[in-house]
Amino acid sequence: MTSDERRTSAPEAPYEIPAHPSADDPRVVLDRELGVFEPVPPYPPRTEREAEFYTLRDGEMLLNMGPQHPSTHGVLRVVLKIRGEQVVDLDPVLGYLHRGVEKLCENADYHQTIAYLDPLEYVSSLFCEWPAVMAFEKLLDVRVPRRAEYIRVLTGELLRVASHALFMGWMALDLGGLTPILWSFIERDEIVEMLASITGQRMLFNYYRIGGVNGDLNHEFMSRLGDWMSRATAQHEANTKLLNENEIFVRRMRGLGVMDRETALRMCWTGPNLRATGVPFDLRRTHPYSVYPELEFDIPTRSEGDCLARYLIRLDEVKQSLRIIDQCLHEMPDGPIMAKLPRLLRPRPGRAFAAVEGPRGEYGIYAISDGTDQPFRLRIHDPSFIHLQSVGLLMPGNLIADTMAVMASLDPIMGGVDK
Amino acid sequence: MDHQLRERLAARLGDRLLGPVRQRHDETEIRIGPGDVPDVLRTLHDEPEFRFRILADLAGVDTGTVMQVVYHLWSDATPDWLRVIVDGLPREDPRCPSVTFLWKGAEWMEREAYDMFGIVFEGNRDLRRIYMPPDYTSFPLRKDFYLPDDAARSPAVGIRHLERTHAPQEAPGGVVRRAKVV
Repeated sequence: MTSDERRTSAPEAPYEIPAHPSADDPRVVLDRELGVFEPVPPYPPRTEREAEFYTLRDGEMLLNMGPQHPSTHGVLRVVLKIRGEQVVDLDPVLGYLHRGVEKLCENADYHQTIAYLDPLEYVSSLFCEWPAVMAFEKLLDVRVPRRAEYIRVLTGELLRVASHALFMGWMALDLGGLTPILWSFIERDEIVEMLASITGQRMLFNYYRIGGVNGDLNHEFMSRLGDWMSRATAQHEANTKLLNENEIFVRRMRGLGVMDRETALRMCWTGPNLRATGVPFDLRRTHPYSVYPELEFDIPTRSEGDCLARYLIRLDEVKQSLRIIDQCLHEMPDGPIMAKLPRLLRPRPGRAFAAVEGPRGEYGIYAISDGTDQPFRLRIHDPSFIHLQSVGLLMPGNLIADTMAVMASLDPIMGGVDK
Repeated sequence: MDHQLRERLAARLGDRLLGPVRQRHDETEIRIGPGDVPDVLRTLHDEPEFRFRILADLAGVDTGTVMQVVYHLWSDATPDWLRVIVDGLPREDPRCPSVTFLWKGAEWMEREAYDMFGIVFEGNRDLRRIYMPPDYTSFPLRKDFYLPDDAARSPAVGIRHLERTHAPQEAPGGVVRRAKVV
C-alpha cells in the first residue's frame, strides 16, 4: 500500500474523528513510506525549529543514533547533526514506545490504573504508583494508616538505591566500562528479590494500593533486608571506589554537559539533575508528603552541574536513602496496612495533583474525577521526558561519543519518556 | 491550605480570575482566560510575593465541552501547589499562548498536549507531533476518540463497565463522555 492510498482511504466506520482545522496538516504529505531509519523526514519542515535543524550548512551531515542503539536505554532515536566528529545539534525522535497509557487509564477502574502505571518506569516502578495513589487518596479524602506510609517510604527508598545503583552501572557501561554494571546488578538483584518477597514481582510491583499497600512485611523480606543492610554501606563504598578513582572516567565526565541553575529551572528540571546544579529542590523536603517530615536526612547538592556532579550526587543520595531505611526500620509502627475503603471507588467530582520525589526527579499525577469509577483524565508527569529534551542544549560542541555520556548522566527511562 | 495565598492571588490578579480561588488539601486553584496566560504566568513567575519558579506540570484536558490547559506551579513562598486552569478553549479550535518564554522546558509538554488534544500553543517554535507519527491526523486523548472497547460508548457509560461486556459495533455511537465538573 502506497502512502497515497493510505492517506486517502477512508477510516473504518466506528472511528470517525471530526474534522479539525489543525487536524490535517496539508504540508505533511508523504511521497514515500516513512522509513524508520531515515534521518531526513520525507516532507517539508512543519516548524521553525524543524526547518532550522534539517537545513544543512557546509560540512554538516545528519546521523541517526537509534532506535536500536545499545546505549539509548530503550528505543529512542536521536538525529545528530554533525560536523566531523563534533555534534552541532540534535533532535530526539520519540514515540517508539508510546502505548497511550493516559488513554488506557481513562478507560480503567481506579485500581486498575495502578497496574498500567507500573511499566512506565520499569526501573523504579513504585515511584509511578505512588503519586497516583496519593492523588486518588486526595480525591477520596482517605487517610493512609501510618504503618502503610512507613512501608511505602521503606520500599520506595530501597528502590531508589536499586535505581541509583543501576544508574551507576549504566553510566559506566555507556562510557565503555563493563565491571560496574555487573556489580550494580548484584545490588539491584538483592533489592528486587527482597521486594519480590512482599510484592510477588521483581520489576512491576503493583504494590501500592489506594489507602495503603498490598501486603505486609514478612519474615523473608525482613531477614533479607537485615542481611543486606549489614553490608550495604560497605558495598556502596566499594562500588564508589570502583569508579570515583578511575582517572579516565573522572576526566571524561568533568566539565561535560554543564548546566547552570537558572537554565535548569527554565528547563523544568527536578530531582538529582537539578540538585547537581545547586538548587536544593527535593519534594521530600520542599513539598513534604507521607512521613518524610518525621525522618532525618540531608539533601545533597553540588554546584558544578556537569556529568560528574550528576553522577556524584546520586552516590550521595544512596547514603541518605540508607539512613532513611534505617530510621524506617526502627520507627515502623504496628497497625493496619490498608484504610477501610469500598471495593468500587467513586470519588466525588474534583481534581487532584500529587507529586513525589523519585530517583529521577518529580513524578506527578494529575487526576480528574467525574464521579464515576474511572478517572476522567489522568495526566502523567515524568521527569525522564523533561530531562531528555535538554540533551539538545547540553550537547552542541561535544563529540558524538559523549552524546551517550550526557544522556546517561540525565538517567532517562524510555518507558517514562514515551508513556 | 494556604489562605494567605488565596487573598494575595485575589488581590493581585483581581478581575483576570474567572471565578473564585478554590482550595482543597494542599492545592490552590485559579482559572484564567487564554488571553491572560502570558501576563498572569509572568506575574506569578517574576513577582517576589509569588516566586512560582518551578513548573511542575503542564496538561491538556478535554472536558467534553471545552478544552483546558492546566499548569501546576511550585513556589518556596507557599506550601501549596498552585493550579492554573486556562479555561474555555473551544473544542473546534483550541488555541493558547505558549509559556516557553518563561519555561523553555514546557516546549515538549506543549508538543505533547498538541499531539494528544490538538491544542495549538501560539509562540512555541517547535509545535509538531511528538509521540504519534507525523502523518497521523487525529488527537487520541480527546473524548470523541474512542478505543475499540471504550467504556464511553458502552450502554453503561462510565458506570461499572467492568461487569458488562459488549461488542463495539453494538454500542451507541457518538456519546462523548462529559465531565460533570468542568
